[in-house]
Amino acid sequence: MATDYDVEFVEREDREARFLVRGVTPAFANGIRRAMVADVPTMAVDTVRFIENSSVMFDEQIALRLGLVPLTTPPEGEFVEDDTVTLSIDVQGPATAYSGDLVSSDDLVQPADENVPIIQLKDDQRLEAEADAIMNHGKNHAKHQGGVAVGYRHLQRVEVVGDLDEFEEQESQIVRGVVEDDGELVPTSEFDHDLANRYPGKEVRLEDVPEAFVFHVETDGSFTVDELVTRAADSIIDRATELEDAVQL
Amino acid sequence: MMVPVRCFTCGNVVGEHWEEFNARADEGDEDPQEVLDELGVDRYCCRRMLVSHTDLVDVVSPYQ
Amino acid sequence: MSYKCSRCKRDVELDEYGGVRCPYCGHRVLLKERSRDVKEVGVN
Repeated sequence: MATDYDVEFVEREDREARFLVRGVTPAFANGIRRAMVADVPTMAVDTVRFIENSSVMFDEQIALRLGLVPLTTPPEGEFVEDDTVTLSIDVQGPATAYSGDLVSSDDLVQPADENVPIIQLKDDQRLEAEADAIMNHGKNHAKHQGGVAVGYRHLQRVEVVGDLDEFEEQESQIVRGVVEDDGELVPTSEFDHDLANRYPGKEVRLEDVPEAFVFHVETDGSFTVDELVTRAADSIIDRATELEDAVQL
Repeated sequence: MMVPVRCFTCGNVVGEHWEEFNARADEGDEDPQEVLDELGVDRYCCRRMLVSHTDLVDVVSPYQ
Repeated sequence: MSYKCSRCKRDVELDEYGGVRCPYCGHRVLLKERSRDVKEVGVN
């Protein structure tokens, strides 16, 4: 009983995208959002073994910083939950240890951003450590969240109802997100989020388009937005199948 | 002490922009607002992470 | 237990008779050195 959803991209980049989905209920839209935040597993450092740390920060502080560095996620099926990859770091001061100094034991799992400063080291200070990264879900720890600032808004339709009186002062009408105007999708940033700029001297009305949602999705670099959304959808399918199997008589 | 790796509120990675922001806005004479816009740090939660940060490593390093 | 004198920076071995005092310079502030073990820390 697969239904096709009408999906249209408004903006599309690797790490940030905005797309319109039609024909979904508010509950389902929220289901996708929650799956993107909590149910898509990503890799993150979970335990760190310190061989030497003479920096100004405590081991625990540095371990926490390493945990927050986003790591690229291997393709689906390559890893299962709780599989580990070891990354090692060895920096001798005076220098700054960056996330890019992490050397991974697996080419598929690399720091997604290479310029995150971990710790600044002075003369004779040294950081040598091994970090184990595991695959886990966002619901267990925020460091495993692949989606950042994932949200959606109702698609709103703009309708020109009439003209304003000749000497009437136009009030600004602020909208954020994406509006539908004559079947065309317009991001509100095009007219500085104010409908008065787009329709000077007109009286406009806005109404929600039923069952149409504009998602705004950003990722931390663990994977592309496409990947995040497909994996989120897959995780919903998996859970639905699991439920179906569980209640079957 | 060191820049937070991620924004406390939304979880966006902000640490990678720190050195450029610091060089251009704090130590340079560019407008912090423009620098943040160019770096793609859009939300105010992430912006405050960089704007309000001070490196303290140099302050504490004598007390080893 | 190995300590380091905070004034003369020399390594100090404490025994049960000497009390907390650097045998070289008499300074009473000693710093404990970090152990050479590998320390495992969880990220929580």
